[in-house]
This record gives sequence, C-alpha cells and structure tokens, in this order.
Amino acid sequence: MADFIKNPVVELPERNPAPAVPASELHFTEAEKARIAEYVKSYPTADGAIMRALWLAQEKFSFLPPEVIKLTAEEVGIPYAQAYGVATFYTQYYKKKMGTHVLDVCTCFSCQVCGGYDMLHYLENKLGIHKGETTEDGQFTIQEVECLGACGSAPMLQVTNGPYVHNLTTDKVDALIDALREGKSWPFESVTLPQDEDEMGGNRRTDVSATETYQTPPVSETIR
Amino acid sequence: MEPKTGKAGDWRNYERVLLPKVKDLHLLEVYEANGGYKALREILTNDKWDPTAVTNEVKKSGLKGRGGAGFPTGLKWSFMPPINPDIPRYLCCNGDESEPGTFKDRQLLEYNPHAVFEGMLIASYAMSLAGSYLYIRGEYADWITHMEGELKKAYAKGYIGKDIMGSGFSTELYIHKGAGAYICGEESSLMNSLEGKRAYPRVKPPFPAQKGIWGYPTTINNVETLAAVPEIINRGGEWFAGIGAPTHAGPVLYGISGHVNRPGVYEYPTGMLISDLIYEVAGGIRGGKKLKALVPGGSSTPVLRADMIDGVTMDADSLREAGSMMGTSGMLVMDEDTDMVSFLRRITHFYHHESCGQCTPCREGTGWLENIVTRIDEGEGNLRDLDLLIDLCSEMEGRTVCALADAAAWPVRYTIDRFRDEFEAKCKASLVPSGVELTEATA
Amino acid sequence: MATVTIDGQTFEFEGRPRLLQFCLENGIEVPHFCYHPAMSAPANCRQCLVEVGTPEMDRETRKPRLDDDGNPIIRYFPKLQTSCTMEITDGMVVKSHRSSETVERAQKDTLEMLLINHPLDCPICDQAGHCPLQIQAYKYGPEGSRFEFEKVNKPKQIPLGPEVMLDGERCINCTRCVRFTNEISKSHQLTIIERGVRNYPMTPPGITFDDPYSMNVIDICPVGALTSRDSRFKARIWEMSKTPSITTGGANGNNCYYWVKDNQIMKVTPRDNPEVNEYWLPDAERLDYKRFNEDRLQGPAVGGVASSWEAAYDAAASLMKEAGKGRVAFLGSAYATVEDNYLLTRLADALGSSTPTFIPHVENGRGDDWLMTDDRTPNRDGCERLGMSPETGALATRIENGEVDVLYVLEDDPVAAGILTAEQLAGVKVILHAYNTTNETLPAATVSLPAATVVETVGTFVNQKGHAQRVRPAKSIKGMNRTLMMEVGKSRADLHGTPFDRWHNESNLVDCQPGWVSLPAVAKRLGQGMDYRGPKYIMREIAESVSAFSGATYDAMGDQGVRLEDVGAAV
Repeated sequence: MADFIKNPVVELPERNPAPAVPASELHFTEAEKARIAEYVKSYPTADGAIMRALWLAQEKFSFLPPEVIKLTAEEVGIPYAQAYGVATFYTQYYKKKMGTHVLDVCTCFSCQVCGGYDMLHYLENKLGIHKGETTEDGQFTIQEVECLGACGSAPMLQVTNGPYVHNLTTDKVDALIDALREGKSWPFESVTLPQDEDEMGGNRRTDVSATETYQTPPVSETIR
Repeated sequence: MEPKTGKAGDWRNYERVLLPKVKDLHLLEVYEANGGYKALREILTNDKWDPTAVTNEVKKSGLKGRGGAGFPTGLKWSFMPPINPDIPRYLCCNGDESEPGTFKDRQLLEYNPHAVFEGMLIASYAMSLAGSYLYIRGEYADWITHMEGELKKAYAKGYIGKDIMGSGFSTELYIHKGAGAYICGEESSLMNSLEGKRAYPRVKPPFPAQKGIWGYPTTINNVETLAAVPEIINRGGEWFAGIGAPTHAGPVLYGISGHVNRPGVYEYPTGMLISDLIYEVAGGIRGGKKLKALVPGGSSTPVLRADMIDGVTMDADSLREAGSMMGTSGMLVMDEDTDMVSFLRRITHFYHHESCGQCTPCREGTGWLENIVTRIDEGEGNLRDLDLLIDLCSEMEGRTVCALADAAAWPVRYTIDRFRDEFEAKCKASLVPSGVELTEATA
Repeated sequence: MATVTIDGQTFEFEGRPRLLQFCLENGIEVPHFCYHPAMSAPANCRQCLVEVGTPEMDRETRKPRLDDDGNPIIRYFPKLQTSCTMEITDGMVVKSHRSSETVERAQKDTLEMLLINHPLDCPICDQAGHCPLQIQAYKYGPEGSRFEFEKVNKPKQIPLGPEVMLDGERCINCTRCVRFTNEISKSHQLTIIERGVRNYPMTPPGITFDDPYSMNVIDICPVGALTSRDSRFKARIWEMSKTPSITTGGANGNNCYYWVKDNQIMKVTPRDNPEVNEYWLPDAERLDYKRFNEDRLQGPAVGGVASSWEAAYDAAASLMKEAGKGRVAFLGSAYATVEDNYLLTRLADALGSSTPTFIPHVENGRGDDWLMTDDRTPNRDGCERLGMSPETGALATRIENGEVDVLYVLEDDPVAAGILTAEQLAGVKVILHAYNTTNETLPAATVSLPAATVVETVGTFVNQKGHAQRVRPAKSIKGMNRTLMMEVGKSRADLHGTPFDRWHNESNLVDCQPGWVSLPAVAKRLGQGMDYRGPKYIMREIAESVSAFSGATYDAMGDQGVRLEDVGAAV
C-alpha cells in the first residue's frame, strides 16, 4: 500500500501515443450511439452522460486509450480535455491495457484486519506477479484497491469491475483462478443477512445461483 | 448490577422495516404484493397529502440522514426554495457508499430496491421535483444491472414518468453509475460527478438547495434515508419517532465487520447498546478474545477503546458523549491482537489515495500523514512525530472545501490519543522529548 | 449605507461584493493564489482564509442585537472562511492575519503545506522575484519545513504547446490555467489530470496547447509551473524595466507592458484594462516584439549613402521645394501616432498638397471578435479622425499620370503593401520614414529617415472602438532629446531599480527619430514653423482644432486611455 510514498513518481502519459485501437475499429455502432444518446437525454446537459458513455466504451474496447476517450467525448458532445480529466480521476476506468481478468483485492480497513493482505500476497505468489502487474499471458492483473463496501464478508475481491468474490480463503482464490482460466465467469454471490438466516431459513432471493453468508475469516491477525 | 438496556427497547423481538421478512422482496411484483408503492399511491391520490404535508410527516418522524452527517431529513427537504415553474429541481440519492467499514446500502439496494425508488418518488412529490438521480458507486455494477431491470419494470407500471397514477404529477428517475472515487460520496462532489466533471467538492454556500446540480435547487439524501420514507407515510411519523433513540429515531442498518463471530448487516432500532451489538447480535469476539477497539460508524469516526463503550448506545448523542460519532453505523470490531499503528497506517493510506487534490491542506496533508505513520509503523519514527501528526491534524481540520480533510485527520488524532502507548512503543527515542512545542526551529 | 469592518477599520460598500475582491480594491492585502477576478472562484488554495462574523439579528425586530455597551453582538463562523467566495453583508466583521492569530496561523500552515511538494528551485525559476508563492511564503510562511520525506516527482520541462512550458512539480493546483481555457478562451485544451497529490494540468494526449491565447496562463500562473518558451532563461524579472503601453499588431489597442533589458525588448505581457482587453493578450501580439530589436534601420541616408540627420533633413526639404505646387504626395500611416500623422497633414496642407491618405493593412480571417482584429494597424481610426482616407489606388494613378514629383511616406511600406511598384516609383523622389531594413520601399527611397517605433516614442493611437490611448517610450534611442528622456523617466515604473535596466547606457541603441522630431525638422527647412514642446502639446492642439479629437488630452487619456466620444469628441 505504501508504493506511492516510497516511490512518489507521477509519470507523464505519453503525449502522442500510437493508437491502440485501429482506425477501422474506432467507432460506435448505431446501437451504441443510440444508448449514448439515451444517456445524454437523462441529464439537463450532455456532460452528465460522459461517465456512462466511458463505461460503455470501456466495455467495448476493454480499456480507455486516449483515442477512445476522444471518440466518446465527441459522441457525447463535450470537450475531449474534460473527458480525459474525468477518465483519469476515477480508478475504475482503465487507462492502460489490463489483463483479461482484473483482480481488485480489497485491503482497506475491515479487509485489512480480516486478512486482506494475506489474500493479496497469496494471489501475488500464486500468479507470480506483484500488484499493479499483469501476468505474461495477459490473463490476470492484480490491483490493491480501497474499500469495496463488502466489509462483513471480508476479505474479498472484485473481478474486472464485475462480480464480488466474498469470504476469500486460499481455497476460494484457487477455485476462482481455476474457473477464470477455464473461461468460466464467476457467478453473482448473494450474501445472506444473518437475520434472514435466523428468520427466513436462509437467503431471501430465489433468483440467484450462488449465495454466501457473512463469515468470520479464519485467518491470522496479520494486518499488513 | 442492573444490566444496561440501551434505547432500542425490546430489540430481540424487533420486526424489520427496511429489510422485512419477505422472500424476493427485490422483485417489483413481490414488493407490490407486500404493500409496495402504497405510500406513493396514497400521497398522490389522497387530497390530504399536499407536498407540505408529506414533508411535515417526515419532519415528525425525526428521521435523520443515514449517510454519516445525521442531518434531519424533513428539515433538509424544507430548505428547497419556493417553486418556480421555470426552474427544475432535483434529488440525488447518494448510493456512493465508500466509507471504509460501510456496506449496508449495498444490501439494501440488493434486497429492497423498490423502497429506495419509492422513497425517491415520495421525496420528488414532496419537493415537486422534475427528476431524481440515484448515484451508485461503479463497483456495485452487478447491483446496478439488477436495479435497472427493476427500474424499467417500475416505469412500465407507471410508478415513474408522466402523470403518475393519474395524479398529474410527473417525475423521472435515473440511475447514475460512478467509477471509483470515495470523494463522490461527498454531496457536492457527487453533484460535480453527475455533471460529468472531475468530482471536486464545491464551496458552500451556495448550498445544494439554492444551487445544486446544473445550478438547480437540489436535495441529496442517502439510500437508507430514502428507503425509510415509504413506511413513514404508511405508518405515520409518530410510529417512526417511537422507534429507538428518541433524538435519533427509527430503524437503522448496522454493518458489523471485523473480529466478531457473526459479522453482517443487521436491522435494529437506533440506540442499541454497542455491547449488545457486539456480544448479543454479532456473537461476540472470535476465538473468545477480548475486544480492543471499535470504530462505530465508518473509518472517519473516532475509534473507541474497549473501556470506552460501556453503556454507550448507537445514536448521535450517546456516541458524541463517548467521544465519537454515529457516522454510517458501519462498525469495525477489533480484538486484542490488532496492531493499531498498522491499522492507522492503512487508514492514512486510504485518505491519501482518495483525496481529490483540490484543496491544499488535504492534497498535501494526507500524504504527509501517511508518510509519518508509515515511518512509525516501520520502526523508524520518533516520539516527536506523534506531536507533529497531531499538529498536522490541526492544520487540516476545518480548513478545506469539504470534510475529507477532517475525515482523514480524525482517525489520526484519536487513534494516537487513545492508543498512544502503542505508538510510543514503535517509536525510537528522540532528542526532542514529546510534548515540547513544535516549531520550525525544533523540527 | 451598508458597512463592513475589516481589521477594525470600517468601509462602506454597495451591492454584494466578494470579500477578497473588496479587500484588493481597497488596498488591503489578503494572500491568495487561486482567485482571479475574471474567473470562477473554486476556493481551492485555502490561502485567503479569514475570520468572519455577522451581527446576531433579533428575529422580531430584524435589527442586530446589542451588547451592554450598545455594540452589535457578532457571531463568528465556527470555521475560517475563504474570503474569495464570501459575499459581504451589512455589519459583517472580518479579521485577517493582521488582527487574528488564528488566521495568521492558518495562512502559515497552508504555505507550509504548499511548499512540502514544491521543488524550491527558485534559483532557476523564471517566476522568481515576482512569484506569489515566493513572496507570500517569505511574508507569511513558516521559517523552515518539517517535511522529511521525498517530494512527489512530476513531469518537468514539458512543452504543452508552442509557447508554454510546464513544470508539474511547481504546480500548486490552483486551476487558474484550466479555468482560463474553459471560461475565458474557451479552447478547452487543458484539464487537471489524475487525482489527489498526483494532480497537475495537462493537455489530453494528442492535443497541443496551441490556443491563440495560450500565453495568458503564464501570467496567471501563481508559481513557475507555466513559463514562456520564448522568454524563459533570458532575463530575471529584476533585470528588466517595464513600461505601460499598447500593442500595435492589431486595431484593438491591447494594453501591455514592454519589458526591457539593455535596450532590448525581452517580452510583452498584458496590462489590465477593463475597457479594452481586460487581463489578456493574444500570443501573436506578445511575440510581435522582435521587430523592435532586430533589422532596425540605423541612421538616415540620402541617395543610399549614409548621412547626418541634418543633411537628410536638408535633402528632404530641397526635394519638396523643387517639386511643383501640389506635386508632393503625402502618404500617412495607420502604424504611426495621431501626432505624427497630424504633423504630416499640416505639412501637406502648407505645401498645397492634398490631404495624405494611408494604406489599410487588412488580413481577412485573422480577427476573432475578441482581442485580435482583421485590421493589422493600431491607428486607422485615428487617421480617419484626422480626415485621412484609405488609399484606394488614386496615388498610383497620379504617379502613372506624372502628377507626382515627390512622394513623402510616413512609416509604411507601399511596395510591400502592393500599393505601388518599384517601377512606378522609379520616376519619383521618395522620402521615407521607416522602422526596419526589411522595408521594401527602402531601395526606392531618395531620403530615408529611420523612425522610432512604438516602444521608442510618445504618442496616441485610437483603436477600432474609438478608444484613444497613449504610448510611452520603453527603450532609448541614439540622440534622445530632452522630451524623450523625461518621458522615459516618467513612464517606467522602475519596479526593481535595477542596474541591468540600461536605458541610460549606450548598448543596443537604435539611431532613429520619432516623427514628431523629424517632421518639424523638415518643415522648418520649408519655412513652416512647427515648434512644439513635445507630443503632449501637439495632442493638445489636435484636441482643440480637430473636432473628432475634442477633449483628447494626455491628461484625459491617463493610463487607461479614453473613449473619445466620452470626452466630447465628434463621432
């Protein structure tokens, strides 16, 4: 976690990078344009739609190289610089190419005291990379992230801005990596409220395939 | 000795309101079958409910914001200026839940999204709003997807949109997806984020009710706050005011995490004894260990030592007296083995990482705090670092546009204050003894 | 009237002024960085914090509650307030660092914070000497730093565009530059990128900061984060003198300062004038100064041979004497001052010639409806007010028809302008006042008289909106007369009193003369008395004799110029 203060270097983004997306692919489909237009309609001015539009662009192009941010800004109808400032402000927008699966391991606060660092280091050893790095095969990127709002099911991680994986153990991390390697997606885990367990005999949702309960992590008290 | 009872009454037989015992309540049809959108129908179709009457009912309930600051909700609604048909007005429902230790809103959004929608719609009617935005943090992508499906259903049913239930009242409801920034939970920063700008907090005044999103009058309420509103209409403000602590009434979602046997989100009345929550509700400290420390309401609320929680209840007054705050009621429980210096180090890292960088004291100070606490944690600090830390807290508190600097400073100030021996134990001796006033000359 | 008390002193105010702006206007210093009067106030630097109290009001009487001594009870805000955003209300009480230890401490704290990641490379920083951070840290900052860690390393020496260089480490994130491109120039080329302590201003990838007004961010940058690629490392601020004047590359008469070291113009910066250019100056007009330093015509010549000034005046006078009545044509100049053009019209009149015309210099598409104009001359309006009209080809026709013996050209270049060709001029004697050796009419000149440029003379220009403004000599020339000497002394607010400000020494002096020296010298030889004690008196005569200039005296123009119609001049 102390990476930045130990090496407080802010890199200059490349000023004139070669495009990562070929010009022939650098466009939105009519359906995508319609969705962006729908977002624009949701706000008094077009500006509000930029966050949603950047999300759409990231889903489409897998990350946000400058030319994609520019394309998105133009589609929304706001200045490119504004969109670029927004994109760099938020951590979930990927400004560089990431692994196919981005593993965002929470180590903040509750996760810290519940073994979040154990899980992070286990994952780093398992994949042979450090946080912030991507495996050579381009499959996995590990990131250490701030509180993801799942403190009761700590330690936990999020996969590529998508599913939460609660109550991490080394076994569960193994299972997760195996599943992702096999190309399976991790299911949405609905976390049962303790009171629902007592009063309703378990999870209240009948439309989810995976459920978890809040658990006390069986980890050491290591909090680094 | 009399057992301490707290202010939550017979909490063991408490019937949940925000997350009632109903299977699949998150689906519109189930929500409807269990009295959903009844409150909205009531206020839109019964003449006795003009907008002011709705606001008054909320005022009567004593509902206070559940996002951290605990401001009276009805009062906030009444701050909106007189209606001007040329000037649209908006509501932002703050679902950017990012305060470390807080995870209740996510469960509410998963299990009872329509209560949030209905609360937003009632608020929209009470304040005559053109529309409302539900701002959800981007990490909650799966929940957003689900809620968007339910929102579509609610639109299709005519609960939202033009001329709702033939009442002539029209309003829109949109879901806005964040993208990873703690600061967006700050209301004015949330507004800038909605407007597609970098999420820098705004100077107040003007307050959101005067100039909010796109310069229009705006009210901002937390997800849990608005979810409580439908039942206030259904059962009356007095009913609500009778739940829990008299000065901080109502049901509340406690998020308990850390070293307890049964962590999780629990719904109980406000005013629960902290000891009941730890030992009765959450099953006590894991492994039979002793409680060392507790953060009662998210990372920015001052940490309490185990010996400070005796008789303290979860409401603003009691926690203030005990030396902390209610915050988001996201409680972190730490057992006797916890290293408070490492704990603080991680918190200072969090605030350093999340400072938006707009104001000088916060942009520069959060990093300085992390540097010093890290040095102490690594055994390289010295005693006068502790004095410097406290001094830096004073340089940051109350000096910035928003409260992030305060939120970053308080854990430092109070963790050192309450666990000073642990910090001193990690420090090297210094030539300048601790307590000597720090000036540039001695530093 | 409503009042506000600041540090114990009571002021009256009208409307709803902002506290910081009010303080600045009343000469009360409040340290600040991010606030700029022309832009929104984000209150991000936190340097202008003050204590603010308002009278406690009685709800029923709606009057202030009084204490036992009959003074209003003041309720202070629990937190310090940013004066840049605080609206003044009646009865408000303000304590700045002068009367509040809390404020003094807060300002010191903010400066301590600002400096922890600032590189403190003042020895090699162009901003040093006029750097708000340096000045305020010196006055209000801590005596040392308690920061013992590595400073944040950010990109340095990054050319944002053709004119502006960024040093990310020096940046204090005031956002003035970003706000300038968003709110003023509207080029939207800059943004703050990253978050928190990593923040700094940048163009998005692939974008060059080529905003035609880009250099304004250099002036408003309160530190040395943005410097001019053109002038960086050329001169310390205290080595230069600065002279208030106007730029002459367009018809808007944008107000500026000319910065001089060793009789060379080093840079041009904007000078505030709410009526003309507010706080801004286009890049093109800032960079349009090399012509004052380079390719200057040195000393007069007759028949292409260097001569003395006296001999040149004699030659010019005899050419005109020899010409038949009405056979001397006069070409005035929209580059020259009102005074010089006036003298020319008087001379033409005395010799029985028709009123001089002038050459319009128009570059279509250059104007931007802001500070840049299609018209490239600073004084077309002034010329027209003197009754001169733009040259339409009549002069060429007269020459073709053999009606002209002598052509007298004031500070222009008819050949380069395409008004006349070298062939047409072959049979005509030409007397030419010229600035530069690049003047294409020069080869055709029988008598050439090197002319002082706008930075070496005294005079008046009238902009496209009828705003008359004075120019003042920023640098010296060879053979300065007494009037010029005095004007130089008066007009240069020698801010730093520098030994490098060598206006009185001999280096880089150009051998030229202002029109108001050379024209009377020629006129005198033709028996025309033009005895003025200086341009001020010429302008006084113009103001009295030309209705389009009624009231346009130097006193009326002052530092900010004057709208001629406001002083009674005929439109």
